[in-house]
Amino acid sequence: MIRALIIDDEQHAREELQVLLEASGEFELLPPCANAFDAIKVINQQQPQVLFLDIEMPVVNGFQLLSMIDEERMPQVVFVTAYDEFALKAFEEKTLDYLLKPVETERLQQTIIKLQASLQQGTTPYYEMPLLQRIPCRCVRRIKLIDVDEVESIFSDTSGVHVHTAEGDNFTDLTLKVLERRTSLFRCHKQYLVNLDQLDEILLQEGGTAKIRCHSGQSVPVSRRHLRQLKEQLGL
Amino acid sequence: MNLILDLLQQMSVFLVIAYIFTKSPAFRPLTSETMHPRHKVLLYGIFSTFSIMGTYFGLPVQDAIANTRAIGPVLAGIIGGPVLGIATGLTGGIHRYFLGGFTATACGISTTTEGLIGGLVGLALLRAGKAEQRFNPWIALVTILCAEAVQMLIIVLVAKPTPDAIVLVQTIAAPMVLANAAGAALFMSIIRDQRRMYDHFGALFSAKAFELAEKVLEILGPGLDRTTAAQMAHLIHSWTGVGAVAITDREQILAFVGLGEDHHLPGTPIVSPLTQRAIEFNQTVFANGVHEHFHCSLSSKCPLSSALVVPLHIDNDVIGTIKLYEPRSKLFLNINRSLGEGLAALLSEQLVHSRYQEQKSLLTQSELKLAQAQVNPHFLFNALNTIVAVVRNDADQARDLLLHLSRFFRKNLKRASDITTLEEELDHVRSYLYIEEVRFGDRLKVEMAIDPALLLIKLPTFTLQPLIENAIKHGISQLLEHGLVTISAQQHDGGIEISIEDNAGACDQNNEDESDGLGMKIVDKRIKNLYGIAAGVRLDCDPGHTTCVTIRLPLQPSMEDSI
Repeated sequence: MIRALIIDDEQHAREELQVLLEASGEFELLPPCANAFDAIKVINQQQPQVLFLDIEMPVVNGFQLLSMIDEERMPQVVFVTAYDEFALKAFEEKTLDYLLKPVETERLQQTIIKLQASLQQGTTPYYEMPLLQRIPCRCVRRIKLIDVDEVESIFSDTSGVHVHTAEGDNFTDLTLKVLERRTSLFRCHKQYLVNLDQLDEILLQEGGTAKIRCHSGQSVPVSRRHLRQLKEQLGL
Repeated sequence: MNLILDLLQQMSVFLVIAYIFTKSPAFRPLTSETMHPRHKVLLYGIFSTFSIMGTYFGLPVQDAIANTRAIGPVLAGIIGGPVLGIATGLTGGIHRYFLGGFTATACGISTTTEGLIGGLVGLALLRAGKAEQRFNPWIALVTILCAEAVQMLIIVLVAKPTPDAIVLVQTIAAPMVLANAAGAALFMSIIRDQRRMYDHFGALFSAKAFELAEKVLEILGPGLDRTTAAQMAHLIHSWTGVGAVAITDREQILAFVGLGEDHHLPGTPIVSPLTQRAIEFNQTVFANGVHEHFHCSLSSKCPLSSALVVPLHIDNDVIGTIKLYEPRSKLFLNINRSLGEGLAALLSEQLVHSRYQEQKSLLTQSELKLAQAQVNPHFLFNALNTIVAVVRNDADQARDLLLHLSRFFRKNLKRASDITTLEEELDHVRSYLYIEEVRFGDRLKVEMAIDPALLLIKLPTFTLQPLIENAIKHGISQLLEHGLVTISAQQHDGGIEISIEDNAGACDQNNEDESDGLGMKIVDKRIKNLYGIAAGVRLDCDPGHTTCVTIRLPLQPSMEDSI
């Protein structure tokens, strides 16, 4: 059984694909997601082996979603779309396969064969992704996209990953590792990323650590291990 | 001998007055090829005055008057024909008659006869197709020689006592014949030279005016904008030599060249009441700087004081103005005034022409886009996918969906040039929205507030559909939940407003790609083509909250009764 996640913003489309996948008897289906935000959380927590991913979705589309997934946990991806020939051409070689809506059973069968072969090889797919320009964050009852330029620092603790801007704190489902790789933010501590453009001053401390003060006055710790890299980065 | 000198002296005074006459506006009729009756009356007045003057300037000789009275009637006759000649001669003759003396009757008769002789010569030349020869000084000379000879004969025959008449003729014949002949020839030569100058000047002016017009039309080719306006203003300014030239659209100055260009900057809104009047009433406004002044409201140091404002219009819609200005120190020339008016008329013609061309290409363009819109693949395949899913659970709803899809595509097959009603447009849109509502489920809600009185107003086909498609595609589909589209049609401040509002507030929704069907711009142009420039489409966006597209139309005449 292949653990699969359907991501589509249309309820009827989700239901239809669910019926088709169930009928094939090859899949263990996670509860489907209606948008990229829910999907990231599920992907990070439940680690599906394959995504059936719609391209046209609100706020964060299918392509953008891929760049928010941790590379080590990258599932196989099958794009499912009504009509996006041109956009798909660019992704054809990089993703496992794509399906056109309405999906035909015979066509789906071919995809399943491809999928099984690929999973047997056991290689994690790698997609070359552009840098993230905006970070999706959850606020109370809404979702906010924060420009990377506006971010001062990001830190993780037991409650999750926090994106700090001059305006305040926001919670994101993206992992610190993804954010480190896909943004220009600098890793200054095991639990911290900092935006060097927002850096005001570095206060050196005993024991080879330091503290960074950002424009808003926020203080970000620099570990001993990262202080050297920070100095190199700043040309000190 | 003294007599001939005196007569020549008198003739000189006469010629000076004649010269001044040719420089005055009264000379104008003589410069044109054809003469209106009122011009003939004017000439009658002028030549009669010359004739009477000739009598007054004359010298008393033996109870008679040696004079140059004949010049007026003879020239009037040659130039204006027998009737004018006789009329002028009669006037001069009657005047002479009442001055008395033994030759009174003879002179009266002879002056009239001389007018007649001039007239016959003029008529003969016209008949022979040698109209221009009428202004030949030699012909005038020969004619007046003959006429004077006839006059002498008449004096001898009519004046009593005859012996006195013969003595008189012996004294005055030679001087009078010579003085009159020389005077007439010189007078005619002044007239001819003046005519030539007018012709030459006129031809030169016309040639250059055509050249200017041609260049201006060339510049205007791509339409009226700041660049073309600036080029035209420069051209007109350097050509006419007026103080300044401005070109405006309805709201602002597009170009300003010449005196005061330091404060009349392109982009400045129109504040001059003259221009506002020209735009509002579609009429030429002229402030000549004497009775009405141009007052610059931008700078108190502005040297301009007279202005001509000519509206540029397409049909009855004023789209801008051309303005010519002169400073306080200069008079506004008539020639520039008529040139300005002529240019504006020419440009308006050209604008109508380019509007027509634009409409033609617009139609092709929209037909083309329409062909794409008929099979909007996103919409079609998503709709089909929805139906494929729905049919598993609810066959009736699947059937409804298919019927709406069929209805939608059938209505899409209409030609883009057709005119339809709001009711039909809404019908078309309802089918589309029904499918989208099922597809998006609870993410899309549609509300309508349509004034039933407006259902029959006329709209270009495919006015609402593309706007609503935009609202869904760029607005609602980007919302995670609670999408709301509100369609309303209401009467508003003496007009009609149809609006499509979504609660997404995706403000870049008009950066549409080619496949987006009939975009907002095309809808706007087609509305304007149908209703004129006061109508159109407006986009208001409150980022993250709402996007509202409003179509504004004038109240339609057919409705005004029912409202």
